[in-house]
Amino acid sequence: MLEYATYALVLLSLGMYVVLDGYDLGVGMLSLFAKGEGRREHGELIATAWDANESWLVLAGVALWAGLPGVYATVLPGVYLPLIGMLLAIILRGMGLEFQSAAAGYRRGWALLFGWASVAATLCQGLVLGGVLSGLRQHGGSFSGGAFDWLTPYSVLCALGLVVLYLLAGAAWLQDKTEGAARERAGRAGRPLLVGTTVAALILGFGLEIADPEKFRFDEPVRAALYWTAVAGAVAAGAVAWHGFGRRPDWRPFAGVVAAQVCGLLALVAATAPVIVPPELTLHQASSPHSSQTFLVVGVGLCMPVVFAYNAYAWWAFRGKFTQTPEAPLAPLRVRAREARQARPEPGGLVVVARRVLLTVPGIGLAAVSQDVFGGIASWIDPVGVALLSATALLAWLLSDRRDQRDGVFDLDPQDADSARVRT
Amino acid sequence: MASPAAIELSRWQFAITAIFHMSFPALTVGLSVLLAVVQTAYVRTGNPLYQQIFRFWKKIFAVGFGLGVVAGTVMTFEFGLNWGVFAHAVGPVIGVTIGMEVITAFFLEAGFIGVMLYGEGRVKPRTMALASWMVASGTLLSTTWILSANSWMQDPAGYTETAGQFHPGDWMTILLNPAFTYRFPHMLLAVLISASWFVGGISAWYLVKQRRAAFPFARRCLSIALGVLAILMPIQFYYGDATAGFMAQHQPAKLQALEGNWQTDNNGYNLVVIPDTGQGKNDLRITVPHLGAVIGHDLTGEAHVPGLLQSPPDERPNMWSVFYGFRAMYFIALAMFATALAGLVLRLRRRLFDSRRFLRWMVWMTPAGVIAITGGWITAETGRQPWVVYGKLRTADALSHLTTAEAATTLTAFVLLYATLLAIWVRYIVRTVKAGPEAPAAPILGKEAPVA
Repeated sequence: MLEYATYALVLLSLGMYVVLDGYDLGVGMLSLFAKGEGRREHGELIATAWDANESWLVLAGVALWAGLPGVYATVLPGVYLPLIGMLLAIILRGMGLEFQSAAAGYRRGWALLFGWASVAATLCQGLVLGGVLSGLRQHGGSFSGGAFDWLTPYSVLCALGLVVLYLLAGAAWLQDKTEGAARERAGRAGRPLLVGTTVAALILGFGLEIADPEKFRFDEPVRAALYWTAVAGAVAAGAVAWHGFGRRPDWRPFAGVVAAQVCGLLALVAATAPVIVPPELTLHQASSPHSSQTFLVVGVGLCMPVVFAYNAYAWWAFRGKFTQTPEAPLAPLRVRAREARQARPEPGGLVVVARRVLLTVPGIGLAAVSQDVFGGIASWIDPVGVALLSATALLAWLLSDRRDQRDGVFDLDPQDADSARVRT
Repeated sequence: MASPAAIELSRWQFAITAIFHMSFPALTVGLSVLLAVVQTAYVRTGNPLYQQIFRFWKKIFAVGFGLGVVAGTVMTFEFGLNWGVFAHAVGPVIGVTIGMEVITAFFLEAGFIGVMLYGEGRVKPRTMALASWMVASGTLLSTTWILSANSWMQDPAGYTETAGQFHPGDWMTILLNPAFTYRFPHMLLAVLISASWFVGGISAWYLVKQRRAAFPFARRCLSIALGVLAILMPIQFYYGDATAGFMAQHQPAKLQALEGNWQTDNNGYNLVVIPDTGQGKNDLRITVPHLGAVIGHDLTGEAHVPGLLQSPPDERPNMWSVFYGFRAMYFIALAMFATALAGLVLRLRRRLFDSRRFLRWMVWMTPAGVIAITGGWITAETGRQPWVVYGKLRTADALSHLTTAEAATTLTAFVLLYATLLAIWVRYIVRTVKAGPEAPAAPILGKEAPVA
């Protein structure tokens, strides 16, 4: 039973990833169709959330490692090249996004990098998914196939299908988050993308069955019932999205797309469980010992509500249409008159040398003794010595900081403020 | 059995991706704490100086954090990509530890980073401070879990071995393993210290360059950084020494390689060695006589430092990386300690903010912490070789079913990408620093046109 909980955890993270990072990769790909500042705005749209979205991929990976090490150790080397490709694309994407966001104005290079890296990441994800679904050769919990086993017609189709799906999610998200021309464009793109996604889903669904007819036991009534329920759910959700595109309320298409994605994933699970890596690696063979799974499921399970709560808060903080809030100027100064501090004249030559020597020698001695460099006879010497040295430093720092504060060393100068105004 | 070339390439790949990833948390963990502190100070005092400090370091933190996240995503998969056998063997133990890191730390950071970076104007300053503290707690928690996982590999405990897989026995023993109790405080202090050098060095640059408008900003930051350093450096030396003592007991070969001796006939402290690993001797050795024995707590100065020939040939780490990795960390740490105490003395004598020579030295110390951390990790990780799980699983046996060509291709791709990324990141820091902190608003109501 426990392994089903682990499996559910992996699926939950994977599902969350597809739903969340799906729209955000889709927005990235759609940014290629925008121009100039519009492209930059696509990046800004997801800047607040992409870290959190990507975390689900990390959780999926790690939960797989911890709970089903057999799958992790088979799948990762099995889809080595596309997976590394995806990681490289994710790095490039993060780079494009961060530097575009940090730059003062629109930067064509960063924007294009962000867009194309989104495309590459999606394609590689599709290849990984398709590669796994086409089956990986494994032996005793580790991969034993060749370097290009993942490259099959099915995995290529899967990659293309995933691009269309993410584009659809991106368009739905854009309609929810933008106003004006961008919203209308997203609304118009929605329906053709929905058709494309449906076609892709049909091809891939049937392709899966042709690829491996024996493995899908649709003669089991429970399985068939679950499968068809999920498919029906996906169709209904798709219809909601279809109706919602280009029409208010703007949240509806995204909700529909998300529901359709969830149903699609459930259908896939219903068709394949308990086989995780076709052709034959099942949940039971791949799972880790009970003590690991218990710790994982309980630990993660206890944290999950908290995670959902603050993620929901973060969503709520940035709810509604996207607006670019220009950064307000710094809070106004409270001016206090102070006398300028005079630097004391430095005494010359020998005095300085003597003073430095006198400070350095006991300094080294103090440090050496407190660190017990010479080997104390009692074990308490170094902790106590170190604590004394640090406490003295803390005290000295606090006193001198208080003094500097009184002297106005840290006061912002109103003159700097004025001169800055004039310059800008 | 994987080919030696594939093993070698995979080791390089892991080393490069890990070091690259590490250099971001080395700055962002400390910066996140600084940001939380100054935002709290702003909420409490309303002094725009703290807002200015927050906004400036936020710019560097945001990009560094983002790059750290994507580089960290790579690490999550790296365990299984090249090291499938390792992943299968340790998944039940370390996979769970890292899973807990993701759910408790990664999500905490990622969940609040949006509010922290983009929340201004949407949420209250107080909420921003709370979000900053959450991000800081996330980064600190993350350090904790990662060190627990890595320390377990250094000194495995609390497990049973079944059919080539480690099964967890007692979770408390696994998570709080013996090596963790030494290495965690050492690393925690290290990340705080390295961020302090970064902040202190950049602040000193404004003072050296006489950027008057940035003086209050630079003085405040320099003061905080040097204060943190003066307090933490002594403690760090203590923990460093304790960690080395622990390693001498549990991983004798690492300490032997670190001291740079082959025969056990030297009572000195080696400054430079050119080891000949094939023949098991040093081609060149520059030694301070008797110092090695004194450091080993023998005041007569005669005790011999253990040499690497004491370990069997197939259990010896590479002396080059361990020796010089340690020297890089240790010598820089000495410079750090001296600088921090000198800074404190200057501070007490009211000369800190005007003493050009010291400030210029501070600028040179900007990357000191990151370099020291890198050296330390090179010592820790290459010193553990040829084991990946010390004493239990050899690195050579841990590789995935992988061709040399695959390993070589991806290694090249990572090297090229990371080199580019590093260059751009450094350029970004330089540009941001040159642009300087934002000018404060005028003290008057702030709406009327400036008088030119």
